[in-house]
Amino acid sequence: MSVAQAHAFDAETRLANRKRAKAGRTVIFKIKRCDGPGKPDRWESFKVPTEPGSNVISCLKWIAAHPVTTDGQRTSPVVWDSGCLEEVCGACTMVINGRVRQSCSCLIDEYAPEEGDTLTLEPMSKFPVIRDLWVDRERMFQALRRVKAWVPIDGTYNLGPGPKESPEQQQTRYALSECMSCGCCLDACPQYLKEEDPKDWDTAFIGAAAISQVRLFNEHETGKRLKADRLEAMMGPGGVSDCGNAQNCVKVCPKGIPLTESIAAVGRSTTIHAFTRFFRGK
Amino acid sequence: MAEQRVIVVGGGLAGLAASVRIAESGVPVDLFSMVPVKRSHSVCAQGGINACNEVARQQGYSEYEHFDETVYGGDFLADQHPVLEMANWAPKIIDLLDRMGVPFNRTAEGFRDLRLFGGSLFKRTHFSGATTGQQLLYALDEQTRRYESEGKVRKYEFWEFLWPVTEGEGDEKRCVGIVAQDMRTMQIRAFRGAAVVMATGGNGLIFGKSTNSVICTGGAAARCYQEGAWYGNPEMIQVHPTAIPGADKLRLMSESARGEGGRVWVPRKKGDTRRPADIPESERYYFLEERYPAYGNIVPRDIATREIFDICVNEGMGVDGQNQVYLDLTHRDPDYLTRKLGGIMEIYEKFVGEDPRFTPMKIFPAVHYSMGGLWTTYTAGDYEPSEPRPGHKSGSSVPVDAQPGHGMTIGAPNNMMSNIKGLYAFGEVNFAYHGANRLGANALLSCIFDGLCNGVSVVNYIRDADTPGVDAVDQGVYDRFVKREQDKHDRLVASASNDSGDESRNPYLIAKELGDEMTAASTVVKTGARLEQALRKVAELRERYQKVELGDNAGWTNQSLSFARATGDMLILAEAMLKAGLLREESRGAHYRKDFPERNDERFYKTSIARYNPDTRSSEIEFAPVRGPLVKPRARTYGKTDSKKTDAKPAAQTAAAS
Amino acid sequence: MSDRQGFLDKHHFLLRRLHSLTGIVPIGVFLIAHLVTNSSLAWGKFGLREKGEGMGLQEGGYAYFQKEVDWINTQVPHLLLIEITLWVSIAFHAGLGFIYAFTGKPNNANYAYRDNWRYTLQRWSGYIGILFIFYHVATLRWGWTFLVPSGTKWSHDYSASTLIAAVQGSPEGWTTAGLIVSLGYFIGVSLLVFHFANGLWTAAITWGITISEQAQKRWGYVCFAMGVGLMLAAWSALGAVFIGDHDDARAVEESLQAGTYAAPAIADPQAAHTPRPDGIPQP
Repeated sequence: MSVAQAHAFDAETRLANRKRAKAGRTVIFKIKRCDGPGKPDRWESFKVPTEPGSNVISCLKWIAAHPVTTDGQRTSPVVWDSGCLEEVCGACTMVINGRVRQSCSCLIDEYAPEEGDTLTLEPMSKFPVIRDLWVDRERMFQALRRVKAWVPIDGTYNLGPGPKESPEQQQTRYALSECMSCGCCLDACPQYLKEEDPKDWDTAFIGAAAISQVRLFNEHETGKRLKADRLEAMMGPGGVSDCGNAQNCVKVCPKGIPLTESIAAVGRSTTIHAFTRFFRGK
Repeated sequence: MAEQRVIVVGGGLAGLAASVRIAESGVPVDLFSMVPVKRSHSVCAQGGINACNEVARQQGYSEYEHFDETVYGGDFLADQHPVLEMANWAPKIIDLLDRMGVPFNRTAEGFRDLRLFGGSLFKRTHFSGATTGQQLLYALDEQTRRYESEGKVRKYEFWEFLWPVTEGEGDEKRCVGIVAQDMRTMQIRAFRGAAVVMATGGNGLIFGKSTNSVICTGGAAARCYQEGAWYGNPEMIQVHPTAIPGADKLRLMSESARGEGGRVWVPRKKGDTRRPADIPESERYYFLEERYPAYGNIVPRDIATREIFDICVNEGMGVDGQNQVYLDLTHRDPDYLTRKLGGIMEIYEKFVGEDPRFTPMKIFPAVHYSMGGLWTTYTAGDYEPSEPRPGHKSGSSVPVDAQPGHGMTIGAPNNMMSNIKGLYAFGEVNFAYHGANRLGANALLSCIFDGLCNGVSVVNYIRDADTPGVDAVDQGVYDRFVKREQDKHDRLVASASNDSGDESRNPYLIAKELGDEMTAASTVVKTGARLEQALRKVAELRERYQKVELGDNAGWTNQSLSFARATGDMLILAEAMLKAGLLREESRGAHYRKDFPERNDERFYKTSIARYNPDTRSSEIEFAPVRGPLVKPRARTYGKTDSKKTDAKPAAQTAAAS
Repeated sequence: MSDRQGFLDKHHFLLRRLHSLTGIVPIGVFLIAHLVTNSSLAWGKFGLREKGEGMGLQEGGYAYFQKEVDWINTQVPHLLLIEITLWVSIAFHAGLGFIYAFTGKPNNANYAYRDNWRYTLQRWSGYIGILFIFYHVATLRWGWTFLVPSGTKWSHDYSASTLIAAVQGSPEGWTTAGLIVSLGYFIGVSLLVFHFANGLWTAAITWGITISEQAQKRWGYVCFAMGVGLMLAAWSALGAVFIGDHDDARAVEESLQAGTYAAPAIADPQAAHTPRPDGIPQP
């Protein structure tokens, strides 16, 4: 399937594809491979039989057990990252038909309903490739350290309950707290670029995921104690003002997190913070 | 003396809670995980976390009741002191998580909301949507990150635990570190640790497809087992009643679906092809509600699983003639479902393509949790009643109050320590809390309880004057272990060059056959003959495994190698499970023997302990008495009635609707 | 390089916000004023009220436009200061804009969402827009006639006629070069209007004025409407120039100068004759 066709891919098409998917068909997996950092990329194709409910993971597993390309060449099993397989851990994120998403929830019936249809798998484009489809997303966790994404509690002693909270506030925080650091929002973001050198991580654009976490922790009664620190980080190089408002993040987020709202909310916080800081004089 | 460090293996709830607690006590932690800790399998936990709370308390519930339910739910197989202690700590743990910022669902007034869960008639389960495990894990992940940025926790992510490093023999055997491998560079090296905490979770992959993550091979536990750690109750594997069948895994549909009013049913008429919405109420068989009027749909998991299995396999009443039943939430308000169960509604919709708010889900049981695990000990607390009180009734005054320290002696160095000194097991990887069956929403509790409560024990152990410093251990000890692992690694990599093309040597196929066999022989219904057959199959697979051939000889990020290595360990653990299952000639909790359908307290009110014999390379099973009893075993029926006679109104239905 | 980066990093937030601010004030405000003034070429007749009676639509436009230009050149105080402020702002906005734009890497091929196209177009409209502004100011304000087809020069005393000549390519009418210039004007102006309207929309997010998706959507409608309005103003002005006739316009302007024409509706007729202090020679 061409990239253009992939774009026409809305929920309805996928549902329709699922309905017309032919049972017992084989599909082609075209996979971008790389043996390790600094090694050249290459493409390999595999013919994979499907069963009802097949997803990219089950097909990759099949390839691992039968690593023979369509040319009949024996090759090494494809390496990929995965974990829960139910779209809550974020591990198995990759670029499928040009777009980033979790591979576990990518059902073959929806993407390749006909005999011989092709799926293209590539590693995420914004992170260093470890091998094949497996990338290193450590930079995302560094970003969480950069914005102090935690509630500064006094310790694990028994000190009674946390702050009371309205159900509305809880729903707001819960939605933000569902972020699984999968990196879809970053891979699709034109402002977020690949940075191989960890030295650049703290000044390059931090991306929607961490900005949204700033909002999450600034919304919490105790988390607020670090609000100023977080906003200072957001006002520095690579902070929230580097956002270019392409708004791809919110469209590719598998958890439907209101990332663009978070960006605006943090924008407002920094505006207020900058003014108060200016007039207060420190 | 040089700085003493603690090694924590596994970054799920138990591992992170332990890391936080230990680091907070001033002891630096080296945290090892095969995945970035935020992606640990704990994220999959959905329903909630149990704890006595004020609302339930004023309705007659108590920590003691929670303890009693857990022991009863586990069919009295658990050592009871740790369970009591855990129940007593539960409310404090919830408070702590609340302070960490976990977005627990709230009532209109702003208090933490509660839901009903299996094995209880009280609402005592705290939850955060339908992704509670994820939310709890993130809270602990954040706290760990905080200590990490203060330099108190050092993370080794994408590092695989290969073997515990021990010195000494017999009772004097002591764990002094680990051998681990960087999964990217393939570097193998040893790490010194004054104590090692195993928090490596379950072993669902032994059964091929389960609700577990792909990392849950049980490999880490199996390696400790081979090094001499005992393994308790290996035959106790929980099969969750409600999961969506899938090609790669079986996806859990949380028990909270039933807690929030979900009803399990099949058409009364076999082979009824009407759409579920077209089948009138009178022609639906709500078999759980009819058979268990008191608990209804929220009977414990082992019971629900067997009933669903019975309906489909024995009675042939599965929906569309297949192995599936309806889990129906369509009578509830769709908005309410989104708010309370959004996470699982989404999973079902994404993977099945139908909206469970309007169409009943089709589900079937799946392997879910291992009650068994590394054997651990503890020092009992001050509550040792001369007179056990089996007759405690809900709402009556409890025989022991909820202060910590009654069940276990807080901070005793041996709490949750295995038979190898300095080697601890926290969370699902130990066998301590759930006996023969785990109650829903108790797993998250036991993991965090282990980390927080028994983390202190680890600190006390290494600070104990009697514990010799680990820096005094000869480097040669570590080198020997590293060499053994390096040799094993090199042998496996070299096997890729054989390239015999012999399918029977493919590690993926060996693992698949193991999974199929284990699922068929050792899950919902077991028989002596079938278990024996499975043992023969496992022996054959172990034979084939000797000649395993890798498909990849890469010296960089060799994933096949990691999997092939774990396959060998899975085979060993599988044998222990089958053997213990064969020897336990009774039915208890999740362990149901068709040839011995009754519980037999006289012979088997005992923990099965597996020990690995390195000479014969096989497991030896011994039965040891259960420690306790604070409550005496009693019949575990959950009020089952003869379904033909009853017309009682299902109680759970009314309870859930409140 | 490192010094520049050091400065940019140190004042990162301030510069980003000034970049956003200058786009609205003064540049955006000027753009609105400029386009509304120019569009009087199309609707000027009606601005002349009863005094424009008997005049054709086009003549009225020339007359009114000339009056507006006269007014600006004679009545607006500190014109030079305003111009300098504008040039500095534009240079600042454009300079930083280039630096910022180069930190991104558009990916519309894979993510063909409308918002993503907006993002990319914002950058391209900036690149092309600044080239256009430069050409526009250089040719019509600074008198770089070598960039104008047939080398005609714009005069604020003959505002419409010289403009028509510059855009159409010659005082006699359309030339090939004129077609290219016209196309350039059409594209340049349209992109700048888009750049402004879209910038106004994103500025509300940047500053945190619109937070919820709903608010962003609503403000989007407002910005869209404003963009459409400005686009119409720009196109109508261009349309009037495209169909305009140099000689007709010159006749109207001459008569205005000679005072033989209908009395001006808004500006002092005397003022229209006062030569500008900088004394740009008339053609």
